[in-house]
Amino acid sequence: MIGLWIALCFLTLSGLEVAQAHGGVVEEDDVCVIKVNYLRAHFKIYQPRISGHEQFCEDLPAASESVFVMEYLHDSLSSMPIDFRIIRDVTGKGRFARMEDVETIGDLDAATVFYRPPELEPDVYTVVYEFAEEGDFIGIVSARNPDNGTVYAAVFPFEVGFTGWGYWPLFVGLLLLVQVQYLVMSGRLRRKPNVSSGTAVILVTCVVSLLSAPAAFADDLLVTYTTPQGDIQINTMHSWVLHVETAAGEPVTGAEIDVSGGMPAHNHGLPTRPRVTAELGDGDYQLDGMRFHMGGYWEVVVTVTTCDGESVVIIPLQL
Amino acid sequence: MMSWVLRIGAAILLAATIILWWQSRPVQPADWTDAEIATLRTLTLASLPELPPDATNSVADDPVAAEFGRQLFFDPRFSANGGISCATCHQPIRGFTDGLPKGQAIGTSRRNTPSIVGTAYSPWLYWDGRRDSQWSQALSPLEDPAEHGSNRKDILGVLAADEAYAATYAELFGPLPDVATADADEIDHAFANVGKSLAAFERTLLPTKAGFDDYVAAVVAGDRQREDELFNADEVQGLRLFIGKANCTQCHNGPLLTNNEFHNTGLLNFPGDVPDVGRARGVDEVISDPFNCRGAFSDDPGRSCPELDFARTGVELVGAFRTPSLRNLENTAPYMHAGQLETLAEVLEHYNIAADAMIGHNEALPLGLNQRELRQLEAFLHTLAAPVAMPVAE
Repeated sequence: MIGLWIALCFLTLSGLEVAQAHGGVVEEDDVCVIKVNYLRAHFKIYQPRISGHEQFCEDLPAASESVFVMEYLHDSLSSMPIDFRIIRDVTGKGRFARMEDVETIGDLDAATVFYRPPELEPDVYTVVYEFAEEGDFIGIVSARNPDNGTVYAAVFPFEVGFTGWGYWPLFVGLLLLVQVQYLVMSGRLRRKPNVSSGTAVILVTCVVSLLSAPAAFADDLLVTYTTPQGDIQINTMHSWVLHVETAAGEPVTGAEIDVSGGMPAHNHGLPTRPRVTAELGDGDYQLDGMRFHMGGYWEVVVTVTTCDGESVVIIPLQL
Repeated sequence: MMSWVLRIGAAILLAATIILWWQSRPVQPADWTDAEIATLRTLTLASLPELPPDATNSVADDPVAAEFGRQLFFDPRFSANGGISCATCHQPIRGFTDGLPKGQAIGTSRRNTPSIVGTAYSPWLYWDGRRDSQWSQALSPLEDPAEHGSNRKDILGVLAADEAYAATYAELFGPLPDVATADADEIDHAFANVGKSLAAFERTLLPTKAGFDDYVAAVVAGDRQREDELFNADEVQGLRLFIGKANCTQCHNGPLLTNNEFHNTGLLNFPGDVPDVGRARGVDEVISDPFNCRGAFSDDPGRSCPELDFARTGVELVGAFRTPSLRNLENTAPYMHAGQLETLAEVLEHYNIAADAMIGHNEALPLGLNQRELRQLEAFLHTLAAPVAMPVAE
């Protein structure tokens, strides 16, 4: 029976995806995604006062304070003014309402229960709205491309309070999906990298480097470091001297060096953005702005670019 | 039938007895290892270095400025309604906080009032680090419409109207400019001097030795009798969890029990507010603050500003807030950047669960501590209570 419900749920969801060809909310690999035309963002809704950290994709259990969150999967969204509107579903189409249906509404403002005018949100887009009553609603997100003025929109019908019996199968299916998603996201099943793009990029870098570091760079470049101010103290900004040489022991001069790093166990980077500030000769480079803010296992990722190409060397550190 | 009921009853009774015994059994604290003692030493006030100099503030260590700053700190005339002083929110009796989720002055502040004790050691001020010195921080509430609601000209006007203030200002910085005729630059410099005087006072606000510091001294000295007098078994176990399994010292490290860095720990939004992006925006603000380390009002001719030079920016800081000190938590509830959690027990439960963040990424991982361990951790946190030192005379 549960299998049937899940099947029904997937049918309904895939129906939605077809219906929302111009943009809407869909589930992709247990992660809720909003598509604003070709622009995508991780989409989630919270009802923190009644269900804490539980995430919802579309339908909401009750009329309560609701926080809508879009974490951009496409950088362009961070430079586009975005507006967010919630209207009562006056189209009569329920969860099959589309942009075309919204466009036929004569007085959009009369149906609007919440509107946030266009605004640039460089990091993450959030709105908070407290639903006064249960019922059918439609969310409309639009983003304006500042270069050519094109407006991209996503429309997502949703229900607050699940009033109709007709949606019980969907309710149970969604609940299961939300639960699976919650379990996956909370790490109880398997931790997945979160969707904030910066973190994801760093993770990927670390993983790739980690896999390739020992073999690929053993016969390539050797990077060593010294700390002129003595042993590394946590929470203290200090400098390193990096020494770069080839496998044959030749010092590497004139290289461009980029330094990043972090704690793989905590999924965060360095607290500062250190830089090579001077080349000291003989393959030595002055690295300033180093700081570690906790004890534990750190990796410092040194990217050396020369005319011969780019090498990534990982320096492991136990503090 | 009856015998079944009896058997089940007996089994339940036995289980309950075992659970009760397990919960209340005395735990003999094991000796601390050398590595643990080394860790403990890094956390005590005995390891607190000298106050770092503030080259951007030439009166930072001037006792006249500190006393002047103390008077300004408690003076409500520097506000739009004549009723708000720094001490309205930073109340000495509450560890320089106010007991409210968000500060209440002329209006409601954006966030929870943080303690200012020991902030001379922090490269960043505010929950989001949007200022980089105590003096530039002190300026901001004076002109915040929700806080003092005043402005720099009115502030200088109050100083000029008070003979004693004007005289002390002149002694420290030269004559006070006349706001009616002074240009914007002169006014800004004088305004910065008000902040520098407040900072000279705030630099003197430091934590004093707590039970925890005495306990570590006893451990280091190998004085078991003194150890037992100072800490009970729960407090010892709580400390063991604190530096071990509970991962607290990853962020709450050093003698002030903070790394002064920014972390996202997945807090819920304050009711009615969108989730706070925290440091992600704070870092942009401090970089563009005209009163920052690089600005025209710094007293450091070399403008050496490594914190700004190497400041990290970017999406990784979404929802991240500065780690607060854990010293003297007794009077500083409610906790977190918007006072979302009312008790230490709620704070510990928050870290024990470590749910996914509403925005950004929760750096903390679930701890899986049981109720007994959570109680022990809380018992330990209370050993960090100690009055604040305020050397400048009242």
